[in-house]
Amino acid sequence: MQKNVFLLLFLSSLTFSGLTLAGDLVWHGFGAQGVIQANDSNYINDDGDVSYRLTEVGLNTSYRINQKLRVSAQGIYINGGNRFDEGVRIDYLFLDYQVLNSPRWNINAHFGRYKNYHWLYSATRDVPHTMPSIVLPQSSYFDAFRNASLGSDGISLTAQHLNSLGEWDIRWSYGNTQIKQEQTENLMSVLATGKLKHDFDTQFSVSFSPLGTGLTLGGSFLSAGFSYNAGENDVFIDGEVALERFMLSLSYSAEYWDINAEAMREKTDFQGFFFDQRDADAVAEGLYVQGRLFVSPDVTLLARIDTFDANNRDRNGSAYQQASGGAVPAYFAFRDQLTLGASWDFANNWRIRGEFHKVKGRARLAPVFIPDTVANDSKYWDIWALQIIYWF
Amino acid sequence: MLNIRRIGFRLLLALVMLFGVHHTYADQAKVRVIVNDNVNINALSESRVRWIFSMRQTTWEDGSAIKVYVLHEQDPIHQHFCKNVLGMFPYQLERMWNKLAYSGLGEKPILVDDSQDMIDMVSQEPGAIGYVISGSLPPGMRELKISKEG
Repeated sequence: MQKNVFLLLFLSSLTFSGLTLAGDLVWHGFGAQGVIQANDSNYINDDGDVSYRLTEVGLNTSYRINQKLRVSAQGIYINGGNRFDEGVRIDYLFLDYQVLNSPRWNINAHFGRYKNYHWLYSATRDVPHTMPSIVLPQSSYFDAFRNASLGSDGISLTAQHLNSLGEWDIRWSYGNTQIKQEQTENLMSVLATGKLKHDFDTQFSVSFSPLGTGLTLGGSFLSAGFSYNAGENDVFIDGEVALERFMLSLSYSAEYWDINAEAMREKTDFQGFFFDQRDADAVAEGLYVQGRLFVSPDVTLLARIDTFDANNRDRNGSAYQQASGGAVPAYFAFRDQLTLGASWDFANNWRIRGEFHKVKGRARLAPVFIPDTVANDSKYWDIWALQIIYWF
Repeated sequence: MLNIRRIGFRLLLALVMLFGVHHTYADQAKVRVIVNDNVNINALSESRVRWIFSMRQTTWEDGSAIKVYVLHEQDPIHQHFCKNVLGMFPYQLERMWNKLAYSGLGEKPILVDDSQDMIDMVSQEPGAIGYVISGSLPPGMRELKISKEG
């Protein structure tokens, strides 16, 4: 499979060379291969060895039917080891209707599988050259939960406005996603034999860039509902989860450096799900602050701190450990991560990059509901990764 | 002592010349925003130019398509245009375009190889907008007056 996708990408890059073709059909694509290791952890693989399961390949096209209507689609193949389910998926496929386009307003409606445009890096999460690092800050961009946050099947409205104060982006979306069995197991446990459904997902966000400041401030709200129908010999029972997430974001761009930060607060409310009727309701909080230095037009250095607490009333995890009868260590309730990275654009449309993560805590490691305490037997652990990227 | 003074003087002179050169370059290297002759406007504000080059406005007021032409990110003229007309850095623009092109939200502008290509395309393509460094403009296109205010 992987070989075929690479071949397809290679052939298409020869054919189209990434530029606008005659007519209104436009093609773009990307391919990335890396090597990654998360020792003493099941984050990438079960044994913590060096892994090549770090592949991202994609091809997209858009066709303009007329000034008002476009069709846009992207197919991707990804392999991230245990981080998410491997395979080919349709990243987006929608009809784009331009409701209004003027010197002050640009309003579009997307019908179909739309992208999540609400967070700083959600719109192109699987497009490596548009991401600041190989592994994203897990407080906001939780790998095991990524499929539900990439986008949904439904409707999305985006509005952009220019006035004397600055530029405004306002977005709203409503849809749902199909959760595959591997994703259910990744999120809950391999012992979950039932069916998890993402019933609905609605999001709203606003961001504002004051004129001439280099600053962008944003806020977003997400409300989603999930339901679970237990299977045979299941360790879970039928249940529902309501999830609400608030986020604030800040970006500042200077000539030779930039700063990006996102804070999030996520409330989960469980009904059923657990045999023991445990109280799993919690408010999780997270924040990352990331700085980049553009040493030259081709070389970028990155430093980031990311912190996450699974329950804001139990930040050190002692109550969590106690509730598990001591089976799950307290360090599964939080995660603080320091990332250092560098990237080099060694030729047009080619990039190589590397990064190192020092991590304290094991929160947001899949599976979440029944964590793997054997592979993850220490509070501190590291991740390193190298990646080569091509895009057109 | 005399030597130090002489070196100091020469350094100062070198600095003055450097700034002088820089100043002259900035003066001479005026970037002009150009449009195809069929485009029915004569002036735009800087924020409107940014609105168009960030691909947010895709049609002119008469409903016809805007075709945006740009030089390579590393091209000094592009960098000058970004900083002095758009008031942003080339990497910011690149990031916005990537988001459009890889999330389905929109299209990237059309990349041309050099200034001659830019002139050829803008003069031939109805609805085209681009930029050049000062010089005489061939028929088929004209320069827009760019105002500073919002």
